[in-house]
Amino acid sequence: MSFLRLLSRNRLALAGLIVMSVVVLLALLTPILPLPDPDVTNTAERFKKPFSERALLGTDHLGRDLASRLMWGTRLSLAVGFAAAVAAATIGAAIGVIAGFYGGRVDNVIMRGVDMLMGFPYILLALAIVAALGPGLLNALIAVAAVNIPFFARNIRGVTVGIAHKEFVDAARLCGMSNARIIITEVVPNVVPVIVIAMSTTIGWMILETAGLSFLGLGSQPPQADLGSMLGEARSALITNPHTSVVPGAMILVIVMAINLLGDGVRDALDPRLKSGALSRPMPTTMVRRTDPVPQPEGDGILSLRNLQTQFHVKDRIYKAVGGVDLSVRPGECLGIIGESGSGKSVTALSIMGLVASPPGVITGGAVHYKGEDLIGAPYETLRHLRGDRVAYIFQDPLATLHPLYTVGAQLIEAIQSHHRTSTSEARARAIELLKSVRIPNAEARVDNYPHEMSGGMRQRVGIAMALANDPEVIIADEPTTALDVTVQAQILALLDDLRRERGLAIIFITHDFGVVAQLCDRVAVMYAGRIVEEGPTDAILNAPAHPYTARLMACVPELGQGRRQLAAIPGLPPVVDKLPAGCAFADRCPKAASACRSGDIDLGPFGPARKIRCIDPEIPVQEATA
Amino acid sequence: MTGYIVKRLISAVPVLLGISVIVFLIMAMIPGDPATAILGSYATPENVEKLNRDLGLDKPLVQRYFIWLGNMLQGDFGRSFSLNRAVLDEVLERFNATLLLAGTSFVICSILGVAAGVVSAARQYGLADKAITFAVLLGISIPSFFLGMMMILIFAVNLRWFPVSGMWPIYGARDLSALISHLTLPAIALAVVATGVIARLSRSAMLEVLRQDFIRTARAKGVHERSVIWRHGLRAAMVSIIPVLGIQAGFVLSGAVYIEMVFQWPGVGRMLVDAILKRDILLVQGGVVFVAACYVLFNIAVDVAQSLLDPRIKA
Ligand code: SF4
Repeated sequence: MSFLRLLSRNRLALAGLIVMSVVVLLALLTPILPLPDPDVTNTAERFKKPFSERALLGTDHLGRDLASRLMWGTRLSLAVGFAAAVAAATIGAAIGVIAGFYGGRVDNVIMRGVDMLMGFPYILLALAIVAALGPGLLNALIAVAAVNIPFFARNIRGVTVGIAHKEFVDAARLCGMSNARIIITEVVPNVVPVIVIAMSTTIGWMILETAGLSFLGLGSQPPQADLGSMLGEARSALITNPHTSVVPGAMILVIVMAINLLGDGVRDALDPRLKSGALSRPMPTTMVRRTDPVPQPEGDGILSLRNLQTQFHVKDRIYKAVGGVDLSVRPGECLGIIGESGSGKSVTALSIMGLVASPPGVITGGAVHYKGEDLIGAPYETLRHLRGDRVAYIFQDPLATLHPLYTVGAQLIEAIQSHHRTSTSEARARAIELLKSVRIPNAEARVDNYPHEMSGGMRQRVGIAMALANDPEVIIADEPTTALDVTVQAQILALLDDLRRERGLAIIFITHDFGVVAQLCDRVAVMYAGRIVEEGPTDAILNAPAHPYTARLMACVPELGQGRRQLAAIPGLPPVVDKLPAGCAFADRCPKAASACRSGDIDLGPFGPARKIRCIDPEIPVQEATA
Repeated sequence: MTGYIVKRLISAVPVLLGISVIVFLIMAMIPGDPATAILGSYATPENVEKLNRDLGLDKPLVQRYFIWLGNMLQGDFGRSFSLNRAVLDEVLERFNATLLLAGTSFVICSILGVAAGVVSAARQYGLADKAITFAVLLGISIPSFFLGMMMILIFAVNLRWFPVSGMWPIYGARDLSALISHLTLPAIALAVVATGVIARLSRSAMLEVLRQDFIRTARAKGVHERSVIWRHGLRAAMVSIIPVLGIQAGFVLSGAVYIEMVFQWPGVGRMLVDAILKRDILLVQGGVVFVAACYVLFNIAVDVAQSLLDPRIKA
């Protein structure tokens, strides 16, 4: 079973499992082990030290053998903790299933009560119950179980609500099954794993809590002793004979720690997010692992990518998101990168400043030259100084990309102060100026708004203002207008166009929309499966697409500027980038695919004076390459 | 803001009533005749009857509840027979000591726990992360009463850095330095478990936040990594950390009972244990209701803090 495999891969959990097994085994074997009677007092033998003759762990204040008391106490503590866990889980699950299954009023009343109980300080409630029932181990067990019921009830209710609306439950109902039968045959089997996980995370607590009540003298009563009451009785001799305290205390620690290790292991093994590594925190810059020689700068671009390769390493799989991209942009120029989602265009954009989430992202080859300096593998401080100052980003969804808990003003001020030593009041004045420059009305008041208080279009203007904060030379815009409606989109595009003409900005514009490309970009590169398949002046390509993919892509767009998410209309799906076919990646979807297309790598070759293409059978003859 | 606070206070009324009902019902579960339980089995029938009348136990359950509630609202929590003192006076006095202990612990565990969680997340899988994760595991597995006893043994008995127990020196001045030296060990012992829990949840809250798009934006702006973590990351993570702090406050407040026993701290928890062993029901009842009510009010303060921190919560 893969679950056991996962568990065994987690060495700490395995250690917990082993320790726990040994303890449980010893506890089970206690009655047949050759141990002295744990309750026989012998005052002549009081407080013998550990490792003394005939008493491995010494004796306590009444001369009772500590090793024997420890074993019996462990047995009792485990039994009581386990019983409390089972009782709490059973009753709590029953309540949760009923509340979740029946819903409505029943649910309301039950959950109100549960919330009320959860609002109690936990141990206080247990104390109140023991106070009512009177001290005693069974009563302590009841108290600990009772205070844990709400936790199970709430968890199980959540799961049941999910199940109660599944088709198979509806189907069972239509078949005329009674509610009780549906619960037993359909709901309970699905709920049991959740109960087991919840138990594995709480049983340690329950052992601790029952031991705690015994420690207070409210649990097991003499001469019977669990670990807690052993510790409680030893307390008066703590200073003179600490070993009588250390022995039971250490045992509780070992047991609870082993259970916690095991519980964590179980939870981790069952949490799908941990399996996929999705809970990793991205590092400040993308990891770089280049083996091939780093390409030298060439050409007159302010920013140029040379054979850039970025991969995602997830477990043993490698996804080649960007498989060798060459691009270059000059000051005042706008370069469009177009492609379907998953074509690697965003990853290309993020790789430039080392912003690809890493792990799992790794840049495995190539270079990004900014004014001749390679940014890939540049030290963090170098990158940080360039980020937002010389090369700025505009992202797609400004609701997710602006910090929700700071005002837009504070975020603009921060952008400025990250690169310039200015007073906050100066920076604030500049922030207002920036908001005006992106045509936000009433900027003096808007500066104190939170992102959620603005419309989508306004937020995206803030995103642009933030990118402009330090007068950068290059702006990388990653689908900045996708989430906006057509009118706002046109306004934003016009704004970007003005800015580029006024300030001589170089813009790299990522999009999947040919309409946007036509409005804004001087040149365009079409990406497919992590590589550029066609590149050239926008007009030439729009008038006469040469790559079969470009041609299909354009055919899907009904009208310029109106195209939204039309790309899926090409039959077939883009290849998964962890198993790219040999030869042309588009071959499976290309109507013109021939055997030559699949036999070897196809280069991005020149096509006419200003264009490049990666195809052996273009849609148009070379002579028509210029329009 | 005031409107929000008032609204939360009003919504607390049914919760407080619910708590009083729960406590009342638990106490009504007492098997047998409570008066006999209080007076012991040698009590004369006349005494039992008198006590029953005094406690109002001859009336129906519902009526008894409302009498009890009405008296409480007038500040009359009844009289403790074992201490021969008004319950409220005793509870208030004891609660001060508990509040001092639990409050100090709460401050310690909040600051240390959040800081450890953030560092752990920021250095995920690094040495610091592994060390913190192990320390946290140890912290949440050790029984606080055992930890307290070991701390006494090491720091009070062997090293003599702190007094063994109590809140004040038996002889000598009751000044701040005396209080601090008496408070240090119990406050730390009480804070350890909660620190572990808070560190754990802060770590995962931070990991969750650090994957968000706005963190990438901050990095793209050229914000220094230190600010990315502590300013952008922690601020956003606090939204999910604060409720955890609220829950842990409850654990610290009620878990104080163990520490009060170990360190002979004159708090409400020790009072409750004594009262339970002496079957002083009114004292238990009063103490539990009082502490639970304070905790409800504290949770309102947590909600208010949350709404101050997150402008998306409409006040
Ligand atoms: S290389 Fe062949 S398969 Fe690929 S696009 Fe050109 S014609 Fe189609």
